[in-house]
Amino acid sequence: MKIIRLSLFNLRKNKREALAIVFLTMITTMMLSIYAANNSKIEKVFRESFEATGSVNNMLLFDKERYHNEYRRILENEYDVERLTENNMIFAIAADALEKDGSDISYNLTFVTERTERRLESFNKDESLTDEEIRELLHPVWLPVYFSIVKGYMPGDTFTVVKSGKEYPFTVAGFYETGLMTSDGYGFKLIVSEEDYDLLSLLYTSPTEKEYVCLAFDAPEDFSSEEYIGRCAESSGEDVSSGVETYSYSLEKSGETVFIEMFLFLIIFLALVTLISAGFMIRNKISNDIEDQMQRIGVLEALGYRSKEISAAYLFEYVITGGIGAVLGGMLAAALTPAVNYAIEKIMGRRTCGNAQILNIVFSALLVIVFVTVFALIKAASIKKYPPVAALRQGIGTHHFGRNILPLEKSRGDINLRLGLKGLGGELKSAIGMAVCITTAGIAILLAVVSFAFFKDGTKGLESMLGTDVEVEMVKLIAGVDPYSFRDEAAALPEVRKAVVTYEMEHISKKGSDGYGSVIIFDDFSDSENIYIAEGRFPEHDNEVVLGLRRMNNENISVGDTVTLVSKGIEKNYIVTGYCSSMINGGTSFYLTSEGYRRLDVNARPDLVNIYLNDGVDESAFEEKLASLYGGTAKDAVASKWSESSLEDRILMKAKEKIAVMLTRYGVTSVDWAVRIGDEMITGNSRGLVINEIKSWRGMIKSQIEPIAITMRNFTVLAAVLIMLIVAVILWIIASTNVRRQRRSLGIMKSMGYTSKDLMKQIALRFMPVTVVSVLIASVLSVYINKIFWMISFATVAETNVPLIIITDIVLIAFCYMVTYIGAGRVKKIPVTELMTE
Amino acid sequence: MVSSILKTQKLCKSFSNGGVQQHVIKNLDLDIREGDFTVIMGASGSGKSTLLYALSGMDRPGMGKVIFDGKEIQDFSNDELAVFRRGNCGFVFQSIYLLENQTVLDNVLTAALIVQKNSQELVAKAKELLKRVGLNEDDFVKYPNQLSGGEAQRVGIVRAIINDPRILFADEPTGQLNSSSGKDVLDIFTDIHNKGQSIVMVTHDLKTALRGTRILYLKDGGIVGDHAMRPYSEDDEKERRNDLTAFLEEMGW
Repeated sequence: MKIIRLSLFNLRKNKREALAIVFLTMITTMMLSIYAANNSKIEKVFRESFEATGSVNNMLLFDKERYHNEYRRILENEYDVERLTENNMIFAIAADALEKDGSDISYNLTFVTERTERRLESFNKDESLTDEEIRELLHPVWLPVYFSIVKGYMPGDTFTVVKSGKEYPFTVAGFYETGLMTSDGYGFKLIVSEEDYDLLSLLYTSPTEKEYVCLAFDAPEDFSSEEYIGRCAESSGEDVSSGVETYSYSLEKSGETVFIEMFLFLIIFLALVTLISAGFMIRNKISNDIEDQMQRIGVLEALGYRSKEISAAYLFEYVITGGIGAVLGGMLAAALTPAVNYAIEKIMGRRTCGNAQILNIVFSALLVIVFVTVFALIKAASIKKYPPVAALRQGIGTHHFGRNILPLEKSRGDINLRLGLKGLGGELKSAIGMAVCITTAGIAILLAVVSFAFFKDGTKGLESMLGTDVEVEMVKLIAGVDPYSFRDEAAALPEVRKAVVTYEMEHISKKGSDGYGSVIIFDDFSDSENIYIAEGRFPEHDNEVVLGLRRMNNENISVGDTVTLVSKGIEKNYIVTGYCSSMINGGTSFYLTSEGYRRLDVNARPDLVNIYLNDGVDESAFEEKLASLYGGTAKDAVASKWSESSLEDRILMKAKEKIAVMLTRYGVTSVDWAVRIGDEMITGNSRGLVINEIKSWRGMIKSQIEPIAITMRNFTVLAAVLIMLIVAVILWIIASTNVRRQRRSLGIMKSMGYTSKDLMKQIALRFMPVTVVSVLIASVLSVYINKIFWMISFATVAETNVPLIIITDIVLIAFCYMVTYIGAGRVKKIPVTELMTE
Repeated sequence: MVSSILKTQKLCKSFSNGGVQQHVIKNLDLDIREGDFTVIMGASGSGKSTLLYALSGMDRPGMGKVIFDGKEIQDFSNDELAVFRRGNCGFVFQSIYLLENQTVLDNVLTAALIVQKNSQELVAKAKELLKRVGLNEDDFVKYPNQLSGGEAQRVGIVRAIINDPRILFADEPTGQLNSSSGKDVLDIFTDIHNKGQSIVMVTHDLKTALRGTRILYLKDGGIVGDHAMRPYSEDDEKERRNDLTAFLEEMGW
């Protein structure tokens, strides 16, 4: 009982320190609980979503023009698959659309009919209009429930897809739960009417937007689509991989949860930082308490208390504080469950279950209590080192026989600095703990600051890592149009800064590796503005290639190696001249010169002109101007179906539509036509049509990169504030306990004429060497961790922002000094009169 | 005429004990003269140390004035008092209070370097003073726990006088020492007084008080006796003892 009283006495005496430990254990438990509860929940949400929707777990989309029925037979006969169906669907990479507020956006969109949907899964409807209302709709669309959760769409709202500046509005009939195709990365499956599907199949007719044959099936977990595609290629003797889009349970899951997992990783990292800090603080505090209460310990030992019993008093103190912190942290985590569920729903776009995962929270709380107890036990056990006499004599530890560190006789400079640094010698163990603590926290803060700086301007930072020029209007020309003449005409427009001829993004593969990658082609890469070589140089000759960083790393390729590239069955060798950051296609892109690409495809002709606009030019207005200058775009013609007009207009539109199909799908270069209605002859030709379509990256950046940038920016601010708070609490406690422990010495110094400010300065300066060294170590480590993080997460090379790191280091050191200085303010309360003997 | 260095006017100091105000010093008027070796005596609990701490700027009085060399210091902030103490006061404690984690020389220099900047001269001065009080070079690098009580108190005295304070205050400086060590320490006090140092010392020990040139007796919060003595000399110790004993008996000691 006496022992418990000693614990309670210590708690009452040092309330602020006890509160600090409660705070740290609370934060640790909360973050651990959030991690533990949600790490398992994500898998559960995903699994249950597939069970509820009855979705197949694999879909392979084959380029319709390159599909062979043999592929299906191989799957049926050679693989253990079930529920295999063959379907048609339109797939469009970066299809333009409008946000609910009318702003531009792009999604990877797949269009299917309801009949197809029912073959893929059970078409579980969520919120919707009534059947009567749906029957009235001209262009109904069923959207994945993602659009309701994340984008805030309601039944009856308008969902608009945009093609070459022309809008195609659909009315949202309702939402449905789906297994596959409901993520930013892998795209969304939209269910449209049979008639609209036919029209859309006329609209989407480019290498990246067209009708596909979809083989949908359930396959065991060990099914390898790469192996199957390889088998198809072997059977057909064709390059299959460059014409297949793969969807599977695991890909969809990783696509939807990559950021949640990243955040969970950051949360567990923060939890570890806090836990280490709490452990260090406990160690420091017990150490100080023992020294502070050495005589009391001696008296208790002299009275017959065993050292184990006295240790138990200290242990009990931390079981109480750690326990309170853990319980509060657990409660906080449980209370935050709805908010966390909401965040997960918002990120995944799936309905999540709402329970608080109590078992995981309890487990996390227990883990923290055990950690605190073990840590306290190890340190509190040091009491046995002090027999009663040693304890009554203030412990041998307070006696100094060692080397005189930084003797005042030999040192120079301000006396407070000299005494501060001298004091560090007596704090070596604390210094090591503090170094670990500040280094870990410093890494976290530096990463947060560097990330914040990267994301503070929205998507600009990420755009610079995409590995392709993004701030351009990509004008795809009708087959046969001379791109160089068009480039010169476009470059003469006042809005245009420059125009560069290139190719629409195609896909090729590398022999010996799975999967394909997009190929980015320039006549001269010095024309590009957003491709940054991390090592080596751009390709200059037709036998040279630059690769995306992830491909280099994954396939262990070095600059100077020779690789064999494959396109439509043609194989050619290329020397790797360098690699670059490339987020597109997950960092697996290829960079070739025009000549280099033509070695793979002798018929390839440039069909795209990148137009770089002057600052301040409105892109949409420019697109409209360009389309009107060149007689509209071929794709606009198909839009006629969407609007009512006069007979002549409708004939003209219908003719344009037919021409568009001929030009865009069948390689026709010129068309003349005439229609006679009674005495009237309506004629036309394709010569006014130059532009196939105008595209840009803006929409995709908005749908895929902007959410990442905003979330990361907010998270980094939150993380930095939280860690700074933790660092502040720890340093404040260290300084504060330091004052408590050295109360007598500080009183003596005051009697000599040292002011409280002098002493506060000395205490703050005492920890500066540790702080400076720790911050420097943290800086170096953070650079490497940052590079690894960006490599793993985004397949990019993170540039080291040296000035920012230096500024952050200075701020961090100044912050540590300030907090320690303020924490040492307790010295003001030490009266010199304590030295009175009377 | 010897000038006054420290004065008090209507000095009061009280403590609250369990809600009851205890008046330790009441309306005390005192004048400390430069060059004197003033010894404050009184019964236990008479407020000797309280007065010493108030005079030296270690503590603030409740009411009244403390005028040090013409400056009223009673309203100084804690930091202003600390700065004031640096140059004007040296303090020798009964419990010695050396800094445990610093060597002998560093203990002295810690006090010196807050006032004076010239390190080399200071180091030489500190070593010279330490030698003067009987310590040798080997002792300079020792830590306090490696010293005897007498040696430690000698270091304490050097630390107190290193900055040439206007007044050296001492609170029972021989209280924790054996008689031999105590005598050595008192000889040092006598020696530095003879060199012109003003000293104010609190003691209840007759032998210690014999070293003074002015004996003040404190009772019921006020000075009830003020007795002048000739400068100390071992030759007339018996005569001094009788003189002081007579004064103290008169005071009811």
